[in-house]
Amino acid sequence: KTIGLQISTGLQDLSLRDRGGRRRDYHDLGVNTRQAMVHVQESKTGLSGRMIKLSTNHFRLTSRPQWALFQYHVGYSPEMESRRLRSALLFQHEEQIGKTHAFDGSILFLPKNLGNKVTELFSRTRSGEDVKITVTLTNELPPTSPTCLQFYNIIFRRLLKMLNLQQIGRNYYNPGDPVNIPNHRLVVWPGFSSSILQYEESIMLCADVSHKVLRGETVLDFMHSLHSQIGEERFRDACAKELVGLIVLTRYNNRTYRIDAVSWDNSPMGTFRKSDGSEISFMEYYKKQYNIDITDPKQPVLISQRKSRGIVQGTVVLMPELCSLTGLTDKMRSDFNTMKDLAIHTRLPPEQRQREVGRLLNYIQKDDNVQKELGNWGLSFDYKSVAFMGRVVQGEKIFQSGSMFDYNPQFADWTKETRGAPLIRAMPMDNWLLIYTRRSYDVANTLLQSLFKVTPSMGIRMNKPNMIEVDERTEAYLRVLQQRVNPDINIVVCILSSSRKDRYDSIKKYLCTDCPVPSQCVLARTLSKPQTIMTVATKIALQMNCKMGGELWSVEIPLKQVMIVGIDCYHDIVSGRQSVAGFVSSLNQTMTRWFSRCVVQSRGQELVDGIKACLQTALRNWFKWNKSLPSRIFVYRDGVGDGQLNTLVNYEVPQFLDCLKTIGTDYSPRLTVIVVKKRVGARFFAEAGGGLKNPPPGTVVDTVVTRPEWYDFFIVSHTVKHGCVTPTHYNVIYDASQLKPDHLQRLTYKLCHMYYNWSGVIRVPAPCQYAHKLAFLVGQSIHREPNLLLSDRLYYL
Amino acid sequence: MDKNFQDEEFARVVKFTPPLYKQRYQFVKDLVEKYKPKKVADLGCADCRLLRMLKFCSCIEVLAGLDICASVMKEKMHTLSPLPLDYLQPSERSLTVTLYHGSVAHKDPCMLGFDLVTCIELIEHLEESELKKFPEVVFGFMAPSIVVISTPNSEFNPLLPGVMLLRHPDHKFEWNQAQFQGWALEAATCYDYSVEFTGVGHPPAGMENIGFCTQIGVFMRKYPQNDESAQSEKPTEAVYKTVFKAVYPSLKDEKYLQNAVVNEVIFTAEIIRHRLLPKQEEEEEEEDLERKSKFQPTVDTFSDCLGKVVVDKTREPFVSGSEVYIPLATIFSFPKVNRLCGTFEKLCQLIAGKVTLSGDGSAVVFSTEHENEEN
Repeated sequence: KTIGLQISTGLQDLSLRDRGGRRRDYHDLGVNTRQAMVHVQESKTGLSGRMIKLSTNHFRLTSRPQWALFQYHVGYSPEMESRRLRSALLFQHEEQIGKTHAFDGSILFLPKNLGNKVTELFSRTRSGEDVKITVTLTNELPPTSPTCLQFYNIIFRRLLKMLNLQQIGRNYYNPGDPVNIPNHRLVVWPGFSSSILQYEESIMLCADVSHKVLRGETVLDFMHSLHSQIGEERFRDACAKELVGLIVLTRYNNRTYRIDAVSWDNSPMGTFRKSDGSEISFMEYYKKQYNIDITDPKQPVLISQRKSRGIVQGTVVLMPELCSLTGLTDKMRSDFNTMKDLAIHTRLPPEQRQREVGRLLNYIQKDDNVQKELGNWGLSFDYKSVAFMGRVVQGEKIFQSGSMFDYNPQFADWTKETRGAPLIRAMPMDNWLLIYTRRSYDVANTLLQSLFKVTPSMGIRMNKPNMIEVDERTEAYLRVLQQRVNPDINIVVCILSSSRKDRYDSIKKYLCTDCPVPSQCVLARTLSKPQTIMTVATKIALQMNCKMGGELWSVEIPLKQVMIVGIDCYHDIVSGRQSVAGFVSSLNQTMTRWFSRCVVQSRGQELVDGIKACLQTALRNWFKWNKSLPSRIFVYRDGVGDGQLNTLVNYEVPQFLDCLKTIGTDYSPRLTVIVVKKRVGARFFAEAGGGLKNPPPGTVVDTVVTRPEWYDFFIVSHTVKHGCVTPTHYNVIYDASQLKPDHLQRLTYKLCHMYYNWSGVIRVPAPCQYAHKLAFLVGQSIHREPNLLLSDRLYYL
Repeated sequence: MDKNFQDEEFARVVKFTPPLYKQRYQFVKDLVEKYKPKKVADLGCADCRLLRMLKFCSCIEVLAGLDICASVMKEKMHTLSPLPLDYLQPSERSLTVTLYHGSVAHKDPCMLGFDLVTCIELIEHLEESELKKFPEVVFGFMAPSIVVISTPNSEFNPLLPGVMLLRHPDHKFEWNQAQFQGWALEAATCYDYSVEFTGVGHPPAGMENIGFCTQIGVFMRKYPQNDESAQSEKPTEAVYKTVFKAVYPSLKDEKYLQNAVVNEVIFTAEIIRHRLLPKQEEEEEEEDLERKSKFQPTVDTFSDCLGKVVVDKTREPFVSGSEVYIPLATIFSFPKVNRLCGTFEKLCQLIAGKVTLSGDGSAVVFSTEHENEEN
């Protein structure tokens, strides 16, 4: 009976989905894109590179031979309404049905066949009514069917619960073994994320270590300390800014809620109508229901909206005093010390990470109840993680104005190698402004002198700037900008004495929209350390050069007539749910110049409409630069959430194709769309000298842990100093390029070398990172589309 | 089959608001509020619904459930586990919830020493042989201060549509008022309890003589608890099987108290340190001025109960070299720390070895370096 009820709640979702309703399917099951791509039908694996032995955090699921799940429809005559009653009546026949079952009121799953296609059972209600129950076999599900996979996941989650792990969100955590970080009032719970999926050759469990950051204080405590920090005036705004979008736990139930608003008009003294129609105050309610006394009757309340398929179903009112925050606020995330203290506990090196995962498997193996449960369903796991061979493709050569550099592939960084070498295209700084406050006068001069030292070797011609001292006020900065900036100015450099967001936003807004001139903001603090000033100045010089339209380095791109597109999204959860899509496309053969636009989504408008418009202008610009149209277009699409793949395949890709048709009647370029995903559960480990290490940059995985129904692969392109490297997942959902997998993988890896704000390889192709940067700047600071005059420069770096 | 569901069924016709099962639970809850028992056991706890309500009663420190059917208990037993917040902010009281698989016809020492034992809609499910042993087990052996027994009143049945004989197929009998009261009085007399009768589910106006839909007997033990003499003759062999046990984190547990105190001390010290250290270009003067002139602390909307940091002049924190010294006495004056520890000695004892202290142990020491390393 235990299993029955627990699982059926999960299965309810399942049957809903089967009936055609749209349910969140985080694993994008049932999206089969590979079948439409003939050239990867046989094989989607590449060949180049040297082989490397890898292990992973996947574990094979082994089930008894001929494992199948039997799906039955259960009908009642006369009709029974109550689900509980239906369930009770059915399980009067437990000896026939068996102890292991899952039932949601109409669909019954059993690990065994009842023998007949139709089984009739007779039960009696307590009121003496006789009921005929008809159990009809509707389906025999092979272990690989999506329903079965969903089913495995439900069972596995149950196992985690049996191991006394607490579910928060999608993952399970161990509250018995917390890590306290008292100076930030944080508590970290270690835990696991898990998913069971059909991979290339077998069904596997992917288990990863997850950490839940929790707070040792209530939302009310948090509000009090915020109040004492920033005072009354900005308090309400700050509360909304800090709290909206965060997830809270409550003192009285095991649910999580997302804060959508803080209501200052309501308080615990406010009332609501109960389902029986009576009116009760929140204070009375919590006292009566949970025996909880609310100590502060004047606190505001939190509003959380219950949503289903994006439609608001109702609102829940929460008391700050009874809620505790989970996760980090933006403020904490931007606090270097907080993140550093956290990283010590959450960034586990490969060896340790794999050991923690092993511990989970060990718990599963050792727990009798868990083993019994698994046994009832005829399931078991291979307790040793999967090992296989990956490939490390060769490193790229870095070209910079006439010279060529090799970098150490182990570090994936060429800062040292290219230091002092002339840039491909150095933009002169003949006419520029340097704005600073009285307090920053010294650092402004330090910066200037350092720039004079580092720019000549790069080939940047630099004049003395117009040095302008301003007051420590946002208006003062703006006034100077309005008076002194004109289109002839190459770049405006502002030295800011604090990381105040509103000031930064105002400057960026003015210089990106009203008066389109590249700008560089520098925090005075970053310039205050003599030992690092030259490094900082070098970076700033390079960054400014890119913002003005310069080019730093390139890699060899053998494909001709190609346009690369990167798309990423930024979702603003605080102010009005505005979404911004960044769109960046290449302009030249060497992929050193980019065209950048963004779409600010207005209410009720689909993001893809804007993206279409971007694609059209991108092609027009490509034509201007190359005097022809590209014959191949590769779109790297980032910012796709779990479960959104279907929409992308069935809606966005056709829109792209439509858009290309509108360019010209005889124009039919080959389009490729690749979904880029940074947040994946898979981890790879290189076996080295008996231990585990991060795989080297350039590691490509396109077997065993990829999905058979997709044309997908993983690339580890970057390196990390601490912890485990996360591979990036590339899913080619549409491909008319006819390129071999090898070539597409290489192209992707090459593009990871082209992000000019980092002289090394990054996690995603450069256009994705550019698109991300642009969307972030617009979403965070500018809130409308920047002036198109800037669109041929990387002004948002 | 459980009893809640059967009520939902007929409540559709004879409407009890709130539903009868809720009224029964509320009855128990009110009793708990009145007598403040520390140890409560629910016999025949089924899906643990009553226990789930009772765990919020702050007087209860031990909560036990017993049922003959293990699977029905297991179904929802995880809802009796501590919530994440119970770990994050451990409560003052201690609470242990245990579920046992066993029969009320058997004696098990784990049921000794309870203040309140509830048997809600239980006895009518017992076979004759079990019912016979029941009084000896509950009143004679467990012998709690209070026993609550509820059972259907068969006189009410004609008012319930669809009920032919019994309200539930598993019921072995349903008594009228005289039968129940006769049985109850006999048991009470035999084991030296007093009993009062009441119920929930009022009869319709004019039919008061048929009594409540659910009849309830509240039994009070007349003799004071006498542990030693009573215990000596009781068997000690355990026959129940523990199917679930949850120990709630509590500040009574030194481990959690220490944790809470250390966290609070470090956080408090961190706040003081922040105020002490020169602001490193974080906020500019202009802004502070703005704030001072405009900020009038209005406490209307939002009562400010944050412990205002009252720093005694004699124990002021200070900076020395690259270290900040924050006297423990200052930290002890913080309301939260104060409340947790009670005495200064306790504070010192709890943080010993967990927080870096000055040589003489009178102050918390922080390094000032930490702040801006590679920012």
